[in-house]
Amino acid sequence: MITLTHFLIVSACLFSTGLYAVLARRNAILVLVGIELMINAAILNLVAFGRYDKALYGGQVFALFAIVLAAAGVAVALAIILNVYKYYKTVDPEDIRNLKD
Amino acid sequence: MTEFLLDLSEQLDHILSGLPALVPELVLAAAFVASIFSGLFLDRGWRHATFTFTVAGIALAGICSGLQLASPSTDNLLFGMVLPDVFGQYIRMLIAVVCLLFATFVHFNPDFTSHHKKTADLYSILLAVNIGLNLMAMATNWLMAFVAIELVSIGSYIMVGYLAKEARQTEAAMKYALFGAVCSAVMLYGLSLVYGLTGNLDFTSAQHIQGLSAAPPVVTGIALLLVFTGIGFKLSFVPFHFWSPDVYQGAPTPVTAFLSTAPKIAGIALLTRIFYAWPENSAPTQSLYLMLLVSAIATMLLGNLAALRQNNVKRMMAYSSIGHTGFLMMAVLAYSPNEHAVLLFYLSVYALMNMGTFILADYIESRTGATEVTDYKGLGKILPVAFVCFVILLVSLTGLPPTAGFIGKLLVFSAVFSKWQASADIGLLVLLITGALTTVISLFYYFKVPLNAFLRKEETPIEAQPLYPNLLWLAALITAAVLLLGIFPYWLVDLF
Repeated sequence: MITLTHFLIVSACLFSTGLYAVLARRNAILVLVGIELMINAAILNLVAFGRYDKALYGGQVFALFAIVLAAAGVAVALAIILNVYKYYKTVDPEDIRNLKD
Repeated sequence: MTEFLLDLSEQLDHILSGLPALVPELVLAAAFVASIFSGLFLDRGWRHATFTFTVAGIALAGICSGLQLASPSTDNLLFGMVLPDVFGQYIRMLIAVVCLLFATFVHFNPDFTSHHKKTADLYSILLAVNIGLNLMAMATNWLMAFVAIELVSIGSYIMVGYLAKEARQTEAAMKYALFGAVCSAVMLYGLSLVYGLTGNLDFTSAQHIQGLSAAPPVVTGIALLLVFTGIGFKLSFVPFHFWSPDVYQGAPTPVTAFLSTAPKIAGIALLTRIFYAWPENSAPTQSLYLMLLVSAIATMLLGNLAALRQNNVKRMMAYSSIGHTGFLMMAVLAYSPNEHAVLLFYLSVYALMNMGTFILADYIESRTGATEVTDYKGLGKILPVAFVCFVILLVSLTGLPPTAGFIGKLLVFSAVFSKWQASADIGLLVLLITGALTTVISLFYYFKVPLNAFLRKEETPIEAQPLYPNLLWLAALITAAVLLLGIFPYWLVDLF
């Protein structure tokens, strides 16, 4: 029997994995992948909780919006990373540091 | 099936009855579509077509919000999504003013007008971002708040990376986009937890606050902390401020001016709405209050202390606007529902001052190429009007009389003081002291500009490039407004 707890544990694991990928930041594309994992963790949560919200289906609707917005955000971020690559010839955030204190 | 149809027609009626309150957003949406088509077809024949459509759309939307002041709505519309009350209308009008200033700034900016991409797409993005800002200021539902924040964020990423004509601009855009996406992902996770705890998404509803209060305080605290990551990113308060100095320095100056004003106004409106939606004595409000209080103190201190070490004008202004965010949070903590004059006055004055300062910084940079404070040596004699306006705006940012910045700070201080007298809360006293202290600190870095411009001499004479003085007029107009509002603050305060 798969209960709500199982969903929450899976999503917490997904979120932590995504956060690790973001913090390790070897490559800007991998950071985006990490962000995508974090968003998917949240979407899993929303859908799992949405099962108990039979009146409005708020969680399911929110999940749909989140998927679309994540796609839009990634599209813009990839275009920006492409521009960065034109100038720096690398996408490693550690090497892209003209702007600093 | 018939029941379902009956239900459907009721729902459609509900939606239709809510639409008149969203006329400004509909106008903006129409202008958005018009700007795309005019960018494609009309700009070849009539160079300023898109600019005209954009300005007309934003101005019309602002006027529509002004007209709605006569009949403000007191109920949540569209299934509890938005609440276009008086506060929301004023914020919408203020955002319209800032967007108009931004459009004019871009229109006269040589970097943008000479760029091969043209500015038509930027205006379209501005209109979309304006819709997002308006919705952010009125949202009463987490879904609406999240969609609005994302709409503003994604538009802002594009704005920062729009020119991409040097390495730094692309770097700023990348840092902004990655940091922003992480923050919104964290916020989404927080929202999913909040949804799980409460079972609905309308944060003004009684069920919502009951759910939050009933859950273990640790869980509620973590969920709210995650949610406020997203809002903190938009407002750039400590500890979510890392992006702002880099992005402000790297982005094209008009975009920096926009980012330091419009999203902050909308973010503060959203923060106020969330904070005052819940009863004061409930546990979540109290943990939120403590979080905001600590963060406001840290933001004021960090912003102003870090600004002392900066030499680049835009970077210095970035830290200064972080400091002002702390001050705005103080105004939010001192806010009492239905008495929004203090907060609105400070927001409008802050927007004017910041816009004016960035316009002048950009004007001086295009004339002489000076981007560092030390480059300003002796420029006061070459560009006297620009630097006189600059100094007046900096005096206002510091909060000295006879400028509007002084009145704004005075109003906030007295609001906090009377709230402290009523509640005797030690936190508010610390907030007051920090506010006063950081005002003094800010004097030191703001006055580096007149010190270099007027008192220091440059050995090698600088040639000023010729440029149309349109931007200078705009800045002079803003400076005059700041001075007039400092002498006659009731012109604006009585409006609210």
